[in-house]
Amino acid sequence: MAREENQLTGAESLQKTRTFGKVRCHNPSCMERIVPEQGADHAKCATCGMEFRIFWINPKLPRIRGPVWDVNRKIAQDRFKEVTEAKLKAAEKKGGK
Amino acid sequence: MALDRKIAYINLTTGDIEVKPIPMEVRKKFLGGRGLDAYLLYNHTEKGCDPLGPDNALIISGGILCATLASATARTHVMAKSPLTGLLGSCNMGGFFAPEMAWAGFHHLVIKGKAEKPCYIYINNGEIEIRDAANIWGKTVTDTQWAIHDELNDKEVKSLVIGPAGENLVAYANVMTGVKNAGGRTGMGAVMGSKNLKAVSCRGTMDVKITHPMEALEYNKKFIEQITGAKVNQTQGTLGTPFIWGATNSWGGVRTENFRYNQLEYADDIEPERIDEIATETMGPYHMAGCFGCQVHCRAQYKIPSGKYKGKYDEGPEYTSQGAFGAEVGCRSAETVLAGNHLVDQFGMDNLETGSMIAWAMECFEEGLITKEQTDGIDLSFGNDEAVLEMIERICYRKGWLGDVLAKGGIPASKNVGKDSFDYLIQVKGMANLHSDERGTPALALNIATSSRGSDHLRSRPAIDLYHLPEKVLRKIYSTPVPYDGPLSSEHTEYVGKPWQVFWQENCYMAVDSLGICKYHTTFLGATLPNFENWPKVLYLNTGIEMTPEEIWEVARRNNMIERLFNLREGATRNDPEKGDVLNHRYHDEPCKRGAIDVIGKYIVKDKFDAMVDEFYEHKGLDKNGIPKKSTLKELGLENEPSHLV
Repeated sequence: MAREENQLTGAESLQKTRTFGKVRCHNPSCMERIVPEQGADHAKCATCGMEFRIFWINPKLPRIRGPVWDVNRKIAQDRFKEVTEAKLKAAEKKGGK
Repeated sequence: MALDRKIAYINLTTGDIEVKPIPMEVRKKFLGGRGLDAYLLYNHTEKGCDPLGPDNALIISGGILCATLASATARTHVMAKSPLTGLLGSCNMGGFFAPEMAWAGFHHLVIKGKAEKPCYIYINNGEIEIRDAANIWGKTVTDTQWAIHDELNDKEVKSLVIGPAGENLVAYANVMTGVKNAGGRTGMGAVMGSKNLKAVSCRGTMDVKITHPMEALEYNKKFIEQITGAKVNQTQGTLGTPFIWGATNSWGGVRTENFRYNQLEYADDIEPERIDEIATETMGPYHMAGCFGCQVHCRAQYKIPSGKYKGKYDEGPEYTSQGAFGAEVGCRSAETVLAGNHLVDQFGMDNLETGSMIAWAMECFEEGLITKEQTDGIDLSFGNDEAVLEMIERICYRKGWLGDVLAKGGIPASKNVGKDSFDYLIQVKGMANLHSDERGTPALALNIATSSRGSDHLRSRPAIDLYHLPEKVLRKIYSTPVPYDGPLSSEHTEYVGKPWQVFWQENCYMAVDSLGICKYHTTFLGATLPNFENWPKVLYLNTGIEMTPEEIWEVARRNNMIERLFNLREGATRNDPEKGDVLNHRYHDEPCKRGAIDVIGKYIVKDKFDAMVDEFYEHKGLDKNGIPKKSTLKELGLENEPSHLV
């Protein structure tokens, strides 16, 4: 066999590094770990400000149910405006539309 | 032993049946399941054969580990040339069929020809019979199975069937087993329908001899701990696969209103937690069921809580139904998602393709490309729940101009609708994208563009790319079993290192599909799940075949290459918008408008995307046009295909 007995495979050794009681922020370049209070149904990312609704699979395993729509929608709209304006400015600099 | 399971060649035109063993040389080269199916398809069809003609080969199989003591080896695979894409057709489903077929003596069936009248194939402990199906033709998916139980007077018979959609040759009709186990995508149900084949039914009590049974059981215990210990599987066992949709929608990776947006806002009613509440309310707290030999139990059982279909029982829904009958069509009602799921299950029709076709028609309708006259007066605006359910039925029975047009699949439909409707079609190689929006995730965009059966998350998606895993963790996964010291990035909006991840996942998924293991038991959604290093022992203890992780990797590469050879033979080229490894222009031209802060404004940069495709081809051993180099074919032992070993 390729592997000696009692030697862990990559997947098995990674299993030992898992964390419980935390979720990762859903913002791709943030991805900070958020530790919701036990049983809490909301949590806010301290780094990027996004807010999430929390569901507990079991007492040790929270998951993000979804965004707090009103909060994150506002953040998204502001960001989209920013991105669009920046794009327009860049195009103007280049002499385009 | 497991390896004495045979191949049956069945000709429905002549009624001839031939049974052959599977030589060990073939096993070691292709293992079984999808991999060996690809070899059989390449060898038993001619270039340019009509997908709905008698010369197309319909191949049904279980993996090499099917019905052994290994966990979650219930998968049934079906392959043929696709009537939807004209390229490789392939589908894979859970349930109980493939193990029953193995106990009946077979791992692979190759079905050709066309029966003069509706028939079904009955396999009972090595005996194969072609039976009349006049009385079951026209029945829905579950009614067909119950009718076969009655006719054979045996409720243990497991059947693989088509519903009315397959009979009506809907280009994306499914092959189904049980209530919701769906062999979806690429229209394998239409291929069955074209052969006048309503079902394949099996009953088997022939032992599958395990090489080292006690050790296999003992090792499987360890496997089960690893599988059930994974957080992702604990979540699946509670919420089923809908949790995937929920998470994806949360950050803005769900295509919405065809492709206008990348998130369905205020979607609380179709979130997995809400669907779980409905399942609990209608079926009680123990509503999660599983497939043969699986401990995850990701399949919810539910009854539709309200509306026209109130009280109807079904299973799932899979996350794909939330996409198909929720976000894609702009609907926010659990009732619509559950009823839509029920209709496609009963009709035997692919939920993803159905939802995508309706979503495309809705955008065309709102853009004035489809008129109200063409819809027979139906208001096809996004968010019209009633219209969605009506269109599902119209497609299945090809009712009205639009129902018939949509039943043909995306590319033919766009030719019928005309104008610039093709631009709105979110597809790759003629198959609609699933419900996800990959504009913020270049690795996932590369995955769907290069998949062998069209836009597909189950062929090479590095889903763990979304977890922001540290580079050292990524390296641990992606540099085994073959070394890789190139770049890897934890950042899933990046382009760096992604081609290798896609290449690795492509081989990982081909390996599980050839072994016959469910993807939820490997590095698909969880980084801590078994992969190449774990499989040799399972394979050896159950079948006696000794292979190293590297050898299984090579088999997977070979099997993927056969699929590519098939597509090339059938006319695929790199940049063909209809058959190539390309994305709809909207991926490159329209930025994301919704979702998490850093998803906003994201799109797939064309130059970077092309560079990823180049690098992916290099990893696979292809030239710049996506054609295998001679040296690659030689290395993989494919230089003399078709070689007709079986």
